[in-house]
Amino acid sequence: MNRRKAIFSLGTLAASWVAVPGLLAKELHKVPSETRMNEDHLPKPAGRQGYRVLTDEIARKNLAAVFDRLIPADEWGPSASEAGCIEFIDNELAGDYGSGAALYLSGPFDPDNEKKMMGGPQFISSPRERYLTGLKALETWARNTWNSSFHTLSDSRIDEFLTNMEAGKIDLGKEIDSRALFELMLQNAREGYLADPIHGGNKNMAGWKMIGFPGARYDYRLYIERRNENLNLVPVSLIPGD
Amino acid sequence: MTNWKHIAGGVVALAVLGAGGWAYAKLNTARSAVADDRVALADVKNPEPAAIARGEYVMRTGDCVACHTAGKGPFAGGHEIATPFGTLLSSNITPDRRTGIGAMTEREFFDAMRHGQGSKGFLYPAMPYTAYAKLTDQDMHDLWAYMATVEPVENPVNENGGMRFPFNVRLAMAGWNLLFFDNSGFEETAGQSPQWQRGKYLVDGGTHCSVCHSPRNLLGAEVASRYLQGGNLGFWYAPDLTGNPHAGQGKTPAESLVEYLKTGGKTSLASGPMAEAVEHSFQYLTDADLRAIAVYLKTLPASGVTRPAPLPAESPAMQRGALRYEVNCSACHGVAGEGMGNVAPAFAGNPALQSDDATNPIHLMLVGGRAAATHDKPTGAGMPSFAWKMDDRQIAETLDYIRNTWGNAARPVDPAEVARLRERLGAGKNLPAN
Repeated sequence: MNRRKAIFSLGTLAASWVAVPGLLAKELHKVPSETRMNEDHLPKPAGRQGYRVLTDEIARKNLAAVFDRLIPADEWGPSASEAGCIEFIDNELAGDYGSGAALYLSGPFDPDNEKKMMGGPQFISSPRERYLTGLKALETWARNTWNSSFHTLSDSRIDEFLTNMEAGKIDLGKEIDSRALFELMLQNAREGYLADPIHGGNKNMAGWKMIGFPGARYDYRLYIERRNENLNLVPVSLIPGD
Repeated sequence: MTNWKHIAGGVVALAVLGAGGWAYAKLNTARSAVADDRVALADVKNPEPAAIARGEYVMRTGDCVACHTAGKGPFAGGHEIATPFGTLLSSNITPDRRTGIGAMTEREFFDAMRHGQGSKGFLYPAMPYTAYAKLTDQDMHDLWAYMATVEPVENPVNENGGMRFPFNVRLAMAGWNLLFFDNSGFEETAGQSPQWQRGKYLVDGGTHCSVCHSPRNLLGAEVASRYLQGGNLGFWYAPDLTGNPHAGQGKTPAESLVEYLKTGGKTSLASGPMAEAVEHSFQYLTDADLRAIAVYLKTLPASGVTRPAPLPAESPAMQRGALRYEVNCSACHGVAGEGMGNVAPAFAGNPALQSDDATNPIHLMLVGGRAAATHDKPTGAGMPSFAWKMDDRQIAETLDYIRNTWGNAARPVDPAEVARLRERLGAGKNLPAN
């Protein structure tokens, strides 16, 4: 370092030494002045690390076969699996939803008694387990009934199966309440199709475009006076890609 | 290793420069001989109450407490000032005899405050003695009386212990002073009103505005020819205070400047370091003094910044920015950029937003911020962070829209600027869009 450099670097020192004090205003009453977000505040986008629960390809194809009859592709939009509902439910099942973190999953368990008490079927198994055993049972049922894998069945056979399942007329074994499984899959297909894309489904906001939902917007003052008019609002996702 | 000799040589060269006879004017403290040189601060007994009160006011104008406090009690020092060459700590300025300034005489106090020469050697210009040089003998004397009443706190601080060689050599600062320090006191300007003189005195002295609001040259000294025309502080930009109508205060009424300093503002809100200046210093000043500051600032000749042509509204990027503004910003900042009085600043016509330097809006988009919380306006409204939901290009586009709509005009923001500040602020990456 020559003299010129020494002076120069001292100068840089001077340029950078505007002291920023960190004393809180007493008027803030100890409310932190920082408003930046930390990890705990942030949503957790569905990962892209591949399937974590639905690792079996047959099970995945079978679930897609069910989902795509519940929400088939048509002129209004893509099918459930095309819109990412399999990725969505896999991500959910890998997390707190799948483990039933918010559910009471301990005994005693007397299905009839508790169904009566609670007005609906109760489960000790977590949603993750219900999916895994349910999808296995689906495949077994298809093998036994039609001697083929479930996802290779025709649309009409799957429709017939789902209709009977919804009516409680399908026996998938002692351990499985098939009507409840149908309802679970229907609910999750809808959620995947309509939840924010951050959760893995509703790709390209296809579900929102289908129903005309404008997405994660904060404020509608610009539009509130405009009645009986198609506002053609572009949907907006929580983490916009454009 | 080979550099050590050169570094040492550089320091010696600076020291020699500093010690040179022609440095006399820069380092001469003779005008502070008016101060008593016998009684130490810790031994000052019963200062005059009126002097204490006036001295507290001088302390408020200088905002000493903000930098000299870090958890060990008011004025006990230890506040960290990060520099690329190590960390400086603010000194303990309580009257503690061993670890504070209790052993200093009034003369030594004057020498430190006005000439940058402290009990341990030359001060680093992080301490704005460059501005306090303007303080009058009377104000200094009152401040001395006030400091005598501060509770002594034992808190040893090794101010430059965290500085790397050669920046831990205080004598080197003599060289810097020699080159850049204006050691003279405040001088009245002929033909101006007493109110204006008072304003200039406060701006250049106690409140040390130019420390942030004047740009610095490559050697770190304020550029006199661009006095108060705006300065970059790294994480923040201290805006143009001159009469420039585009990026300065040319269109800001003096009353608005007073309200801003007294309360934190209404359509333009103080945030970042300025929020702290308002909270700890300006809100305590008298209306007459704030008025004097405003009157003085309003006479500053406009900087040379010119208004660029606004970016065309119809480009796809501006359209994306418009949607993003509507979705994320308009609820508080208004569908026409009109803001929400006292809580969210207006964007339309806001000069601070339209400066060439976009550090502040980028900073606030990335990590958010908080408006000044003052006695008059205690809310301290918060701006949330958008670093998690927008990438660098999206933030740049949003700012381009804000800076070029409703009559605003400013150069486009480069996503690389956002990336740099994101990195330096540790704002984290945005979440992936699925």
